[in-house]
Amino acid sequence: MPLKSYEHCCSTMQAMASLGKIEGVIPILHAPQPCIYEIQIGTMCCRPSRLLTMGTLIERGEIIFGGEENLKRQIVNVYHTYHPKVIVVLNTCVPQLIGEDVKGVIEDLKEELKGCKVTYCDTGFKYPIAMATGNDICWASIVDIMEPHQRMDGSIGLLGRSGTDAGAFSSLTTFLREADIPYFTFPASHIDEMEKITRAHFLYPIHVVPYLTSKKISEKSSALVNYSEIPSGVEGTTRFLRSIADQLGSQKLHDAVDREEKEIMPHWDSVKVTFSKKPLRVLHSGGPASEFSMGKILAELGAEVFLVPTMKNPFAKKEREVLAERYRVTFIDEEFDTLSDLLDTYHPDVVFTEFQGQIEVTPRFAPAFINMMYLAEYGYDFALDFGRNFHEAMKGHVYRKWEELLKRYKGNPYG
Amino acid sequence: MSIGSGKNFSRDIKGTPMAKVKEGTDREKRLQVSEIHRPSAFEGALWAVMGIKDAHTVFHSPSGCYINQHQNALMNDLFEMYTSHLSYGDVLHGARETLEKTLQKLIAKGPPAIFIVTSPTVEIVKDDVEGVVEKLDYEKCVVIRPTIGGTVHQGKEEGFLSLISLMDEKVEKKEKSVNLIGPTYSVFNWRADLEELRRMLFEIGVSVNAVITADSTMQQIISAPAAMLNICVYPFDCGVTFAQKMQEKFGIPYLADAIPIGFGESARWVEEIASFFNLDVETYLKGEIENGFRLIRTGSVFTVTFETPVALALENHNTYAVGISHFFKKELGIEICFAAVGDEEVGTKVQEVSGNVSVSPTIDEKKRQYEETSPLLIMGNFYDLKVSKDLGFLNFLFADIPTISFLATENGPYMGFRGASYLIQQVVNQVYINLFIETKGEMEGQISLGEVRWSSSAENALRKIAEMIPHFIRTKSVKKLQKKAEELAYQEKSEVTLEIFKTIAEEYTPTRFKTKFLEVFEEDSAEPTYQEKTEEDWSKLPFSMEWDEEAREMLHMVPSEFKAKAVLGTEEYAQRHNYTCVTSQVVNEYRKELGF
Repeated sequence: MPLKSYEHCCSTMQAMASLGKIEGVIPILHAPQPCIYEIQIGTMCCRPSRLLTMGTLIERGEIIFGGEENLKRQIVNVYHTYHPKVIVVLNTCVPQLIGEDVKGVIEDLKEELKGCKVTYCDTGFKYPIAMATGNDICWASIVDIMEPHQRMDGSIGLLGRSGTDAGAFSSLTTFLREADIPYFTFPASHIDEMEKITRAHFLYPIHVVPYLTSKKISEKSSALVNYSEIPSGVEGTTRFLRSIADQLGSQKLHDAVDREEKEIMPHWDSVKVTFSKKPLRVLHSGGPASEFSMGKILAELGAEVFLVPTMKNPFAKKEREVLAERYRVTFIDEEFDTLSDLLDTYHPDVVFTEFQGQIEVTPRFAPAFINMMYLAEYGYDFALDFGRNFHEAMKGHVYRKWEELLKRYKGNPYG
Repeated sequence: MSIGSGKNFSRDIKGTPMAKVKEGTDREKRLQVSEIHRPSAFEGALWAVMGIKDAHTVFHSPSGCYINQHQNALMNDLFEMYTSHLSYGDVLHGARETLEKTLQKLIAKGPPAIFIVTSPTVEIVKDDVEGVVEKLDYEKCVVIRPTIGGTVHQGKEEGFLSLISLMDEKVEKKEKSVNLIGPTYSVFNWRADLEELRRMLFEIGVSVNAVITADSTMQQIISAPAAMLNICVYPFDCGVTFAQKMQEKFGIPYLADAIPIGFGESARWVEEIASFFNLDVETYLKGEIENGFRLIRTGSVFTVTFETPVALALENHNTYAVGISHFFKKELGIEICFAAVGDEEVGTKVQEVSGNVSVSPTIDEKKRQYEETSPLLIMGNFYDLKVSKDLGFLNFLFADIPTISFLATENGPYMGFRGASYLIQQVVNQVYINLFIETKGEMEGQISLGEVRWSSSAENALRKIAEMIPHFIRTKSVKKLQKKAEELAYQEKSEVTLEIFKTIAEEYTPTRFKTKFLEVFEEDSAEPTYQEKTEEDWSKLPFSMEWDEEAREMLHMVPSEFKAKAVLGTEEYAQRHNYTCVTSQVVNEYRKELGF
């Protein structure tokens, strides 16, 4: 077992953060105080509104005698106070451990909560590997209670990773619109919008995360799931869009991609030249599966990429093949105790990690990019902008300055 | 004198009856949203030991719990922490093997101590953690098992108590040295407070032997019994039980009844320590108090503080709640219009200086209090900041956790003499500058539009609102309201109507009064006009002498709440000087006597 973990948060927190961004949905955290406190604090930064966490605050007595009554009361409270369309109970480690009958509670309340659907998902230690799984399982729980809409033939459903993706689809939908291809996006910032995903004819996940979600939607609506690849970087975006164009036989979409490529390639090639002049070794550790997408952009630009994968579902396996074969990305599957061990082995020039990794990277005077700051990584524009500014964003001179200061005054960078 | 007596401030409260302290509503009857800003015993235990820089802390937990705890606490302090990565299977079938492997790896690193803090899941299954430690036969390994449902302060106390077994009771005593008990990582402003207390102790010739625990080393912890005296820095929060145990085991007396917040209490804190060590601190304290007095004599300190109601929301920081409330009220004349505290004992203590204290109110209750009491400044945590911004309050100071990514350095203490000065600096600058800037127009705006007529109802409302604004900002605020109302009337080719003035007042009245002035516009239209009201009020004034017209005019300038007092005082002056009638000359003489 490793001694640390370099992910951004647990699956419960991620589920809370994602559901907290959807209007019409209220998550209830079925958990004791420490869990609720940490999740409340941790999700504060990413929730745009409704900043208070609804929770059950499981107490000592409830661990012995059961907390179902308390949960029931909180569901009713939330229903009467906010009138949401959907309530999702996040069933965390402690209630799972004591065997809470969450399903039974929801069943009991069916009659009382008119116009509101209640669902739940088990989070926490059942999903210890990837925080991103928190997205997938909470989306899947939403899909469970969705009413299927009539399918629109020839339409595309774009499936994103987290609530943040709800605002990042435009880098792809612009092309679909131009090619007159009807589309639906999931997640969206309102539950009514999200429900429309069941109208999609073909589902195109834009990240490796929503494996379970796509499966559930497909079961519900008979939509066909086509995992192409993550549309990040120029080549990835092109291949993703052309895959849709081929599926629908849309010459218009091919034309739009041709035009965009013609426009962007000279700029992209000049960025590649910069990368070839200043070769980089990049290590991606942790991340909400962004190691796949961000690593892809940097690898396409010519960086030598080392990647610790956080997800292992079938989509992730497919993406892994793309990254390894097309860009010769090195995957690190061996267990490691601390990030320092990897730094000693791979000597990266720059590391993508989380705050608990940053404290190990900075004393080595190497830039650490925080994974959570680099989401919405889809499409041509993101890739070009990111590539153009990457060397500058590393702020190497700042690290050199501190290195010089510590050396001069005999300071200990780890002190 | 409480040194050595084991007396705790919170056990010696002579406050007003508890009945006046309002409690939060029943858990069962409301949404559970009030506790979200209250960390638990698990946070407390972790924060207590993670600040020992060279020791290793293991959170015996699923990786998710570890990540959340580590990430959130890294927002406040720099430290390292490890985990046993419990899986679902581990928890169900026993995690002995997993923990053993984790500990073996850490022992190999050769740390001076390892602290194992168990997580809620481990506490539910009651995993045999001690058995694993015993098997490894590593004597510098300590297990802390926080209680589910315990408070953050209880968790800290557990953490502190676990240190006693590691201490060396045979260590040589250090003359004139103390241990500072209480500062831990993730406590608001601990670093700055500690720095200031160290400075004060250094000034009187006392050294700090160990800090329990923030930024300490294991050697300092082991040698803690070398100190002559233990000082509980946050006696209303944690550390007192630990100090009592140290007294029992090592015979070290402790001080827990002085909170060095404010000039007076900081001086008392120093005096108590000096008295224990038999030190002469008169010259030192003279200098500090003179410095403080020099500050409050300058500029706008009392001008602002005397008219600045403050709301304190310090539910995770009981010691600050008591210390700051007493300092503000007694030494700065600040009215504590509302205080939210963490427990009833503290509530009683704060109630000595505030008539409006709530114990663990919900966020909605706090919101209501802010609206009703209209503080000019709110001090609290991140949620209070959010609520205050949502409600339109301009002035806010962080004074409690959670803060969410708030950087706190050794600068800016709230404790000690420099803490008192810093608090004054912060309060006065926030309030004065923010209100001052709110009264300003555009950089290159028009100064006047010429004469614009006012309806009597609008004029009446302007005067009423003016009376609600503190004197240090009243003239400028009223001028701005007037100007803005006239600009709007000019645009609409109208006189300034009540409606126009209401629009302007909503937009430009200094924040605190936005709720209060609404009453002015909500009054029944059948209400008497300002002139009528004034005359009506006039009849209620305690005139016993004749006042000439000019003197009565001057009385108009006095705020209505002080008019009666002004009449009585002026007439008393007139009689004392054998005047038969109150004229403007008499009023002026009396004003002069009062120092105006």
